[in-house]
Amino acid sequence: MSRSEHPIVFIVDDDAAVRDAVKNLLESVGMRVATFGSTADFLARTLVDDPSCLILDVRLPGVSGLEFQRQINASGLEIPIIFITGHGDIPITVEAMKAGAVDFLTKPFRDQELLDAIHRAVERDCRRREQAAEISELRERYEELTPREREVMALVTQGLLNKQIAAELGMSETTVKIHRGQVMRKMEADSLADLVRMADRLSTLYKGITHPS
Amino acid sequence: MQTAKTFNRRLGSGLYAYGIPIVTVASALLITESLKPTVFPTPLFFAAIVISTWYGGTGPGILAVILATLVLDFFFVSPVRGFTLRAADIPYMAQFILPALLSGWFTKKRKEAESELKETRDQLDMKVQQGTAQLRNTNEKLQSEIAERKRAEEAVQKTQADLAHLTRVMTMSELATSIAHEVNQPLAAIVMNGSAGMRWLAAEPPNVERACESMRRIISEGERASEVIKRIRNLSRKASPHRETLNLNEVIQDVLALISTQLAKSRVLLTCDLKPNLPDVVGDRVQLQQVVLNLVMNAIEAMVEVRDRSCDLLIRSGIDERGDVFAIIQDSGTGLDAEHVDRVFEAFFTTKVEGVGMGLSISRSIIEAHGGRLWAVPNAGPGATFQFALPAAEIT
Repeated sequence: MSRSEHPIVFIVDDDAAVRDAVKNLLESVGMRVATFGSTADFLARTLVDDPSCLILDVRLPGVSGLEFQRQINASGLEIPIIFITGHGDIPITVEAMKAGAVDFLTKPFRDQELLDAIHRAVERDCRRREQAAEISELRERYEELTPREREVMALVTQGLLNKQIAAELGMSETTVKIHRGQVMRKMEADSLADLVRMADRLSTLYKGITHPS
Repeated sequence: MQTAKTFNRRLGSGLYAYGIPIVTVASALLITESLKPTVFPTPLFFAAIVISTWYGGTGPGILAVILATLVLDFFFVSPVRGFTLRAADIPYMAQFILPALLSGWFTKKRKEAESELKETRDQLDMKVQQGTAQLRNTNEKLQSEIAERKRAEEAVQKTQADLAHLTRVMTMSELATSIAHEVNQPLAAIVMNGSAGMRWLAAEPPNVERACESMRRIISEGERASEVIKRIRNLSRKASPHRETLNLNEVIQDVLALISTQLAKSRVLLTCDLKPNLPDVVGDRVQLQQVVLNLVMNAIEAMVEVRDRSCDLLIRSGIDERGDVFAIIQDSGTGLDAEHVDRVFEAFFTTKVEGVGMGLSISRSIIEAHGGRLWAVPNAGPGATFQFALPAAEIT
């Protein structure tokens, strides 16, 4: 997490006293907090590009917390969720955790429990952002490759020798070497292994990356 | 022994009876003799005959007539002191004898009438006495029946209070989750504010203002929690039924306040349609709260599993055609089978997996003890409607 980023914690709970108490606690440890009384209010927030996490009460008027978790997952918004509840709700706990919640706390929880969960959640978000940034970077680099270079890259990362690649693509070995050099440069790969890792990472985005189409 | 006594009495009275004409005729004779010639002889003898017939009866009466005739003839009709009767004196004698007999006869009749009257009166007296004795008897029986009925009623009331208490305890365990929930909210706020307060004070420099604010919040949340506990404790107190004039809308609102947090956090959409200026009813506040709580909790639980439609809870109050005060609790939950509509009120009948089956049976007996009625109707759409009506309090 870069120093310039300041994580922000969102809390959605219809009980004002609980909302304010969480805000009080988090501010006393120097964290940024934004409180919302409903999921609708939360969705209407102004977006910030900082690591964040969401503290969500399981029972909210109209929408269940779990339901909202599903909605968030479906919408592609990737924000770590910490559930809090005033009930026991054991079955919901399992469901929530399976759907990717960071933690599930029962009121009244100790302050340290909440702070630890927030810490983990924010870490998770930072990592995700890093990864997203990396992939974005890789994508940009990959976009720079010419189609030929991409073909070469696909076969190189499969472990083929230059000779084999030349035969496969119908070009001279020299041409292959030139393309290969370009790929390594543009992709900023330190080694073949590095390139392979990059290809792997990109393979979720680009179908033909490891197998030429 | 009765016959001997009556015989003796009869004998005694017989002698006594026949003595009367002798005495009375003799007296008449003496008086007439001593007052002669100023007094007519016949009137006193008439008196003697009447007296003899009256007190002696028919026989003595006739004897009196005979004696009087003889005495008259002997002492007053010439020849004086002789029984011979001249032809000229026969009309005189006849004029005496005939009326004498007549007066004897009238007297007898009169006496008979009087004794009949007396007998009838005696019979009546006896009948009256019998009747009075019967009435007294019936009255005593009635009193003892009333006393027993009163004992039975007290026993029923005690059982009801016991059952109501039991239900309160059982509903308590059903309610345990929502009670814990109601109290956990303020507790969580208290813990977090306390922890925040400590950190504010530990800051460099200490932020006293925010620490104080944290304390204030702790106090207010503590009070909120104790309010909830107070309401719950009132509900579970085992008190004998305490009648008072109360407003059903207030009872409903009290119950909703009790479970406000749980209600807010559920997916239930509550619509409250309480008629303003609802007439008062007379009843036990805690018991009626119990009933409303039971019905509302049932409604909420019926909708817990509902996913494909909205969970609507409608609570309405008003006055029905009879002038009774009614309350309706309608949900859009799993509903009731037509065959269960009346069975749900049976003790130990439940369609819930972890149900006990006492809630509705107790609720019904509470409402009925208040002179009202409680019933259920499946909705045209999803869910069920429970309704109860109570007689309005009489305005004094």
